[in-house]
Amino acid sequence: MTLRSDHVVGGAFVAFALVLIAASGDLPVGTLSFPGAGMMPKLIALLLVVFGLLLIIRGRESAPLASISWADLPHALRVVAIAAVAIALYQTLGFVITMALLLFALIFGAERQNPVYALGFSLGVVALTYFLFEVALKTPLEHGSIGF
Amino acid sequence: MGTIESLWLGFSVALQPDVLWYAFLGCLVGTVVGVLPGIGPLSGMSILLPATFGLDTTKSLVMLAGIYYGSQYGGSTTSILMRIPGEASSVMTCIDGYAMAQKGRAGAALCIAAVGSWVAGTFGVIMLTLIAPPLATFALRFGPPEYTALLVLGLIFLAYMSSTSLPRTLLMACFGLLLGTIGIDNMTGHFRYSFDIAELGDGIGIVPVAVGLFGLGEILSTPAANVVGKVIAPKLRELLPSRREWRDSAMPIARGSVLGFLIGLTPGSAHIISSFLSYAVERRLSKHPEEFGKGAVAGVAGPESANNAASTGAFVPMLALGLPTGPITAVLMAALMIHGVPPGPTLVNDHPNVFWGFIASMYVGNLMLLALNLPLVGIFVNVLRLPYAYLYPLVIMFCVIGVYEVNHSIVDVWIMLIMGVIGYGLRKFGLDPAPLVLGLVISPTFEMSLRQSLIMSNGNWTIFFQRPIALALLAVCGGLLVLAAVSAIRSRKDWRAKLAEAEAGES
Repeated sequence: MTLRSDHVVGGAFVAFALVLIAASGDLPVGTLSFPGAGMMPKLIALLLVVFGLLLIIRGRESAPLASISWADLPHALRVVAIAAVAIALYQTLGFVITMALLLFALIFGAERQNPVYALGFSLGVVALTYFLFEVALKTPLEHGSIGF
Repeated sequence: MGTIESLWLGFSVALQPDVLWYAFLGCLVGTVVGVLPGIGPLSGMSILLPATFGLDTTKSLVMLAGIYYGSQYGGSTTSILMRIPGEASSVMTCIDGYAMAQKGRAGAALCIAAVGSWVAGTFGVIMLTLIAPPLATFALRFGPPEYTALLVLGLIFLAYMSSTSLPRTLLMACFGLLLGTIGIDNMTGHFRYSFDIAELGDGIGIVPVAVGLFGLGEILSTPAANVVGKVIAPKLRELLPSRREWRDSAMPIARGSVLGFLIGLTPGSAHIISSFLSYAVERRLSKHPEEFGKGAVAGVAGPESANNAASTGAFVPMLALGLPTGPITAVLMAALMIHGVPPGPTLVNDHPNVFWGFIASMYVGNLMLLALNLPLVGIFVNVLRLPYAYLYPLVIMFCVIGVYEVNHSIVDVWIMLIMGVIGYGLRKFGLDPAPLVLGLVISPTFEMSLRQSLIMSNGNWTIFFQRPIALALLAVCGGLLVLAAVSAIRSRKDWRAKLAEAEAGES
C-alpha cells in the first residue's frame, strides 16, 4: 500500500486527539443540564478522531507522501532557527539590537547577500521603524534590560 | 433614525480630517500590502493592529478596513504587471491581465481593474448600508440556541464552499475550536491546557495564530531563490482604455459586483471564490471565449470587481450578526472587542457613530483608492524592486513587533513561531489554515451559547429543534451536508473541484 499525505495527516490528528482526551482527565464533563469545563474539548477531540479517521479511509484520493517536495525545508529551518534565537533574546537585548541582528542574520547568514548592504539595510530599517513606532505612532517598542 | 439620516451622521464622522487621514493611511498601506507578494491583508492588518490601540474605535476600524479593501485593489497590480498574484484573490487576474500587459495594454488593464474595483466596492457599500441594519434588528431575536445553530451553519457552509474536501476543512475547524478552549473556562473557572503558563490562562490570541499561519507560514515555504519577476512600469498616458475595452468590461463589472457581494455574505474565502466564479461566468457568457487567457478584458474586469464586492459583503454578517466569515473579519472583530465595542446586532443602536462612520468611510475610501491606484501605480510598482531576500526579513521583523505589541507577551511571539511551523506543515499537506483561524475565533462564543442553551433547557438537547429560527438554520446545515455527500458519492467533478485544480495550477 502506498502511504499518502491524508494517511499521515489523519493519523497525526487521531493521535493528537487521543493524547488530548487522555490529558483532559481532570476536566469535568458535567451533565447535559450543567455541562462542565471538559465537555467542549472532549467533544471536539472526538470529532477530530472522526474526521481524522475519515481522512485515513479516503486517503487514496490524496497525493503519495513521496511526491511532496521538501526542497524548501533547509530555508525554512534556517529562518525558524534565526527567528527563535531573536525571540529568546528580544526582552533582554530590546528591539534595536535584536531586530538589527535578526535582519542581518537573515539577509547575510541565510540569504548570502552582500554583508555591507545587509548591514546598512538592517541598521537603516531598524532606525526607521524605531522612529515610526516610538515617535510617529507613539507606540513604545521593547527596550530590554539594556534600555533601548 | 432612518437610513439617510444615519448615513448623514456617518459622513459627519467619516469626513472629519483625522478620520480621513486614517482612512487614507489604511488605503495606502493596504495597496502596498496588496502589491507585495507574500504579505496578505491578514498579515498587514495583524501587524498594524497594535498601532491602532491608541486610536478611538472608529479610526482604528476605518484604518484596518482600509487595509483590507485596499489590498484587493493593490493585488491586481502585481498580477497584471508581473503575473504574480500579490493576493490570493488576484490569481485569476494574472491570466488575462498579464496577457494584456504583454500586448502593451498594461495601463488599460490596470485602469479597468481599478474602475471595476471602485464600482464593485461602492455597490457593496450601498448594499451593506441597506442590508446590515434590518438584519441586525432581526438578529436581536437570536438567543443562545439560534447562535449555536448559526455558528454550526457557518462552519458547515465554510466546509461546503471550501476547495479542499469537507472532512479536511472540518478537521481544521475542529483544531481551531480546540485551540480556542485553551485558558480559563468562563463558566467554572477551570484552567484548561495552560500547562502552568500564566499567559495561556487568557487563551490563545487570534493575532499570533493568524500572523504565524499566514505571514510566517508563507515565508517559510517561499525560498528567496524562487521569487523572480520582471517589473513592467506603464506610463500615465497609457492608462486610458479604448472605447471597445470600456464596452467589453461594463457588463462583467456589473455581474462581478452582484456575484461578489452575494458570495461575500457567506463564510469562507469569499473574495477568492468570487473571483474564480466570476472568471468562469464571464468565459461562459462571452461571445469570444477563445480570447480568455490571451488578454480578454472581461477576464480582468469580472474577477477584480467580484473580489472587491465580496470583501465588502463580508462586513454584513460581521457587523449585523457579530459573525466573522473569515480570518480577516475576525481580526476586525478583535479590533472592535479590544476597544470594548461588541460587534453584532447591538452595534447599530449602541454605537451608531462607529457603525455609520465606518460605512461612510468606505464610500470615501473607495474614492481614495481609485485616486491612489491609477496615477501612483508607477510608485507602487517600485516597491517590487526590493529583492525578496531583503523583503521577507522585514516582514518577519514586523510579524514579531506586531504580535509582541498586542499584549507585550513573548509567549504570544513563541505561539506565532509555532503557528508558522504548523502553517508550513499544513501547506505541505495541502490543508487550508483559514478554517483553523475561524474555529479559534468562534470557539468561545460557540461553547458559551451551546452550554447556555443546554442549561436553559435543563439538559434537553431538542431545544435546537423546538425554536423556529434554530431549526431553519440546522435544516440548511442538513441540506448542505446532503449535497456534499451526494457530490462525494457521485465522485463527479463539480465547480469546487475545478476551483481546487485551478488554484493548484496557479500556485
